[in-house]
Amino acid sequence: MIGIESFPNPHSPLTNKKKHTTMPKAQFIDPKEKRKAKELKFKPIPVNKYNKSIDDERKNFSDDDLKRIYHDMAVIREFENMLNLIKTTGEYNGVEYNHPGPAHLSIGQEAAAVGMAYELDTDDYIFGSHRSHGEILAKGLSAIHKLSDKALKEVMTEFFDGVIYDIVKKNFKGSTKELAVKFLLYGTLAEIFARETGFNKGLGGSMHAFFTPFGVYPNNAIVGGSGDIAVGAALYKKVNSKPGLVVANIGDASMACGPVWEGISFATMDQFTTLWEGDQKGGLPLIINIMNNQYGMGGQTCGETMGYEIAARIGAGVNKDQMHAERVDGYNPLAVIDAYRRKKKVLEKKQGPVLLDVLTYRYSGHSPSDASSYRSKEEVEAWQQQDSIVTFGEALTKAGIATKKELDKMVEGIKDNTFEVFKLAINDEISPRMDPGKDDVIGGMMLSNGSLDTVEEDRKPDVNHPLEENPRVKQISKKERYAFDKDGKPFSKMKQYQLRDGLFEAIADRFYKDPTLIAYGEENRDWGGAFAVYRGLTEALPYHRLFNSPIAEGAIVGTAIGYAMCGGRVVPEIMYCDFLGRSGDEVFNQIPKWQAMSGNMIKMPVVLRVSVGSKYGAQHSQDWTSLVAHIPGLKVCFPATPYDAKGLMNAALQGTDPVVFFESQRIYDIGEQFVEKGVPAEYYEIPFGEPDVKVEGEDVTILSVGATLYRVMDAIKTLRDDYNMSAEVIDARSLVPFNYDKVIESVKKTGRIVITGDATARGSFLNDLASNVTNLAFDYLDAPPVVVGSRNWITPAHELENEFFPQPHWIVDAIHQRIVPLEGHVSREEFGDSEQLRRNKMGV
Amino acid sequence: MAHPILLPRQGQSVESCIITEFYVKPGDKVEPDTPLFSYETDKASFEEEAKESGTLLTWFFEEGDEVPVLTNVGVIGEEGESIDEFRPENATALGSGGDSGEAALSDDIDASVSGDRSADADINVASGEANPEKGAKNVSSIKTAPAASAGAKIAAGTPSAVGEGQSTAASGATSQNEQGKLFISPRARKLAEAKHINIYRVQGTGPNGRIIEADIRKAMEHEPSMVDNATGAQIQAAEKAVVQQQAYQYPDPSNAIYDNDSKNVPLTNMRKRIANAMHVSLQNSAQLTHHLGADARRILELRQQVKAKQNEGYEHNITLNDMVCTAVIRTLKKHQNANAHFLGDSTRVFQKVHLGFAVDTDRGLMVPTVKNADDLAIEGLSSQMKSLANACKKGSVNPDLLAPTEASFTVSNLGNYGVEMFTPVINLPQVAILGVNTILPRPKDLGNGTYGFVPTMGLSLTYDHRALDGGEATRFLKAIATEIENLEINI
Repeated sequence: MIGIESFPNPHSPLTNKKKHTTMPKAQFIDPKEKRKAKELKFKPIPVNKYNKSIDDERKNFSDDDLKRIYHDMAVIREFENMLNLIKTTGEYNGVEYNHPGPAHLSIGQEAAAVGMAYELDTDDYIFGSHRSHGEILAKGLSAIHKLSDKALKEVMTEFFDGVIYDIVKKNFKGSTKELAVKFLLYGTLAEIFARETGFNKGLGGSMHAFFTPFGVYPNNAIVGGSGDIAVGAALYKKVNSKPGLVVANIGDASMACGPVWEGISFATMDQFTTLWEGDQKGGLPLIINIMNNQYGMGGQTCGETMGYEIAARIGAGVNKDQMHAERVDGYNPLAVIDAYRRKKKVLEKKQGPVLLDVLTYRYSGHSPSDASSYRSKEEVEAWQQQDSIVTFGEALTKAGIATKKELDKMVEGIKDNTFEVFKLAINDEISPRMDPGKDDVIGGMMLSNGSLDTVEEDRKPDVNHPLEENPRVKQISKKERYAFDKDGKPFSKMKQYQLRDGLFEAIADRFYKDPTLIAYGEENRDWGGAFAVYRGLTEALPYHRLFNSPIAEGAIVGTAIGYAMCGGRVVPEIMYCDFLGRSGDEVFNQIPKWQAMSGNMIKMPVVLRVSVGSKYGAQHSQDWTSLVAHIPGLKVCFPATPYDAKGLMNAALQGTDPVVFFESQRIYDIGEQFVEKGVPAEYYEIPFGEPDVKVEGEDVTILSVGATLYRVMDAIKTLRDDYNMSAEVIDARSLVPFNYDKVIESVKKTGRIVITGDATARGSFLNDLASNVTNLAFDYLDAPPVVVGSRNWITPAHELENEFFPQPHWIVDAIHQRIVPLEGHVSREEFGDSEQLRRNKMGV
Repeated sequence: MAHPILLPRQGQSVESCIITEFYVKPGDKVEPDTPLFSYETDKASFEEEAKESGTLLTWFFEEGDEVPVLTNVGVIGEEGESIDEFRPENATALGSGGDSGEAALSDDIDASVSGDRSADADINVASGEANPEKGAKNVSSIKTAPAASAGAKIAAGTPSAVGEGQSTAASGATSQNEQGKLFISPRARKLAEAKHINIYRVQGTGPNGRIIEADIRKAMEHEPSMVDNATGAQIQAAEKAVVQQQAYQYPDPSNAIYDNDSKNVPLTNMRKRIANAMHVSLQNSAQLTHHLGADARRILELRQQVKAKQNEGYEHNITLNDMVCTAVIRTLKKHQNANAHFLGDSTRVFQKVHLGFAVDTDRGLMVPTVKNADDLAIEGLSSQMKSLANACKKGSVNPDLLAPTEASFTVSNLGNYGVEMFTPVINLPQVAILGVNTILPRPKDLGNGTYGFVPTMGLSLTYDHRALDGGEATRFLKAIATEIENLEINI
């Protein structure tokens, strides 16, 4: 019979008795409760329940309001029609124009867009998809209506120093609001036509256009891309107590995507209501607005590619509140407005997020090349028969709110306006395209290279106690900040100031400087991070600044993007860099691109911390620096010493660019072995892009990336003691950017270079370094640069790791075989030509 | 008792020679002075003769092999005696005593190369001597394989047969692959240019036989660096040009009627060297020739006097050339600028006259030097020049005397062949060379409107205009002529 030995209780009694910290430990999981029998009950989800007539609504809307709704829908309709004509016939109103770029049109969906935007103001942010022209215009028009003339003038004259304002106001006679409408149409159209005078200097285009002064945040060409980014924006508003809500306008087919589900998981975390405190307690101010046009490109969501039947059903599977989900008839603008009025109240009560399934339909194909082979003509016609603009217009005239003549005149005016804006936007002199060759314009926008002590001044950071009182800070103050004593003997690991302490100091310092800074990831709070970097921060910070995210790497990074876009600094953590694949789109397609795609309007102060494993096998021990170094728009660094880690983290947190910050699990506990005066207690930065000569030498240069540095230090001992060869060791520290000057100088001196790191050799950044050194220092080389990386295998188990990762003797062998023979040396590894050829032939 | 046949060391700097031809084969009987084989350095060729009687038992090498000096080339003894104890490690012929000839070269090379290494058979390791002092820059401790210890077979351009997968050098070959291209790192090449090291003579110890910086530094220690002008690089460039000149295509030489129309004859080392020197001289100087006639009646008269004395038992055959050379030497003492070397940024003016003179031999042109010729009387000059000429023809001249830097001035006499005028090529770095032509009758004004035919010797002075101007050269040449016309000698 199995006895019940008393299992050790991993949790010792609480040492931290501060009142304000309520830990999940306080949420005792009672087996008696959990094992009780019961049933889950669901509430009915309303579908198309709105049934008011225009007459009913006349007490909620003035006539002008109702006419405005018609007007806004007609503006969108004409705009999209114009683009459709250009794409299909090559001309609009007899004026020829060729637009080769994308144009995903939303003809038929106007009511949904206008209804969505009606209740929103400039504090409310919308994020969109590739099909969001209607939403941009609707939100813009709504904002124009709500802003005063003075405010509008200010927006227009200040945007890009009034470039667009000057274009649209020429020969303009009309009100400020009418000018603002022209401004909105022109800025959007010029952007679609890739003109430098567009809202994003032509760098965003149709699928990424946005205009933040009106609360229009970026659209996303990646399906579902806004699904987690919008959550981050909502998080920003909540954490920084900003007014307004966030709407994610995504499609029905995007409900299959990871980022959307991860975004929903993140947005509906219990902790917002169970653990976050004070003002911060409560749900995110977020509406996930499914613009359900019932097709995902060509796939029919209901009936073919999805299983929910009615997308609002999804809410029921997520949380007790069923995300307040509803299906709304998006063909009736008043139904949508009604829904928004009700859901806004829900958000104001901090009961969000909300899921709205807005039913609509598009007559236009997915794209101009869409032959609509996936639906019948009859179906399209059936929906056209119920066209929302026509229907609404008829309702207005029937109710006597507007005559047909009035409406027709309105539409005429809209068409004229659109045509005027069109002519301006296609004029190469008035609306030129940027010259990428000149002054390296695009290159200059890839990174903002800003320097900010804090992203938001005039606000004090929320902290629980002064930094000096923090237990970890006190603990660190007793540590030795240089690893060796005056006799050169190393202090014990516990006494040494470690690399993780350097990271802690930089991050803690910034938490106390920048009120917008928040950090999250898996096991960040309480546990203090899987590698104890954050130990002590739990005591220092309230929940809303340091919390545990779900195991959803896509959302961890995606929310950080939205958070940063809105003006906050954020440190998301991916526990193992091996998990970068889980946040692939966010890291490769989103984070690096927004600064440039926005014409540098948007900054991206995100420091994505990832760590490189060891001893954890094939899926937990890879060095993926090369993957991120390949993607333009990211800064990448990999410090290997406490001094470098603190300096680079400070620089990363001071900057405005996205940084992928690599740390190695091998060396979180390493002491400072190189800087004799020890790691400074005060603030200092190490600029990005500067490698560091750690050891000077004469005979060979060894350039290393990351934790491999310490194996290089072993190798140089062998070179010195056995072969009388003095090696110069350069620690790369950064990968992107990278300044070659010191490396070239070294190669001029030694003529020989080995480049090493833990990344698998093939396709690695190490080869990039080698190639550049060859080109820049060819005449000084005594042998081509030799790359020593990991084998192109899976990382084997801990016990076999030394066959996989570069070892000290590999470096010596490589020098012996490929650079200069070492007397008496017997190689153990094969670095010869035929072995290199063989491996490449085999693809390993 | 069997005795080994040693390859002698000819000259201080010679480290290896090429065996050109064996005159006897195993089984042949030899006596003292029987010619055994011929061999050449890059400066001269020689013959080795037997020192004792016996039977030639074996050769350890083949014609065309490059062999380090002081290596056993073969064995002479009684038939049946063992030869194994004499076989050198780097023998390329099996040396079985028969005419096996067909040595398995690759096997031998691998065996010889890896045999004396203690290392892993997979990896070729450079062997080497003891570590030179640490003070030397950079690669003082990196060992490179000296030529002497790795005697793999080298024909010009033959690859060193290193086993599969072996990427290190220490093959002992010159660093050439099959196409005859040189493997050298950019850094090493730069250093060699700066230090005037001839890369075609450097052994490469880097991967694939690549010449690396350490190899150049080693060569710098052994070779006295060239005179600090462009000469070193020039010679390098010239040698490279020679190697590269095999660009001409010839149609298939065989045809039905005439059989082989032409055939390729590889250059001997001497030919290569002469080709280089001539080409370099013409490419890299500003030389031109002045022609001037000297009245030869005086020296003809002196020659008659010598002949008369010879009939009385006088031993020295003082020739016209000896007289001309004497005149030249005396004139050089008064025209020091012509007794000099041009060094690019300076000239080296000699106090003593070291006279070089051209000797035509079967193997090619040689120019030995009479050192301190201005100390010699004409008899001494005559006998020295004669013995040097003989030594050249026999192949036994001291190679150190053949270097162009040894002479301060050169004389080239083609008078015997009837040449009337020519443009001799300067022996760089010397600033001039005197060509001596045949004696022809030329009309001369004998005074008072009378003209007669007078024996006139043509003198062709080629000088380097970088060092000497036309006026100076002309005065020098005229002074030689005057000296010849008024020569006084003690016989």
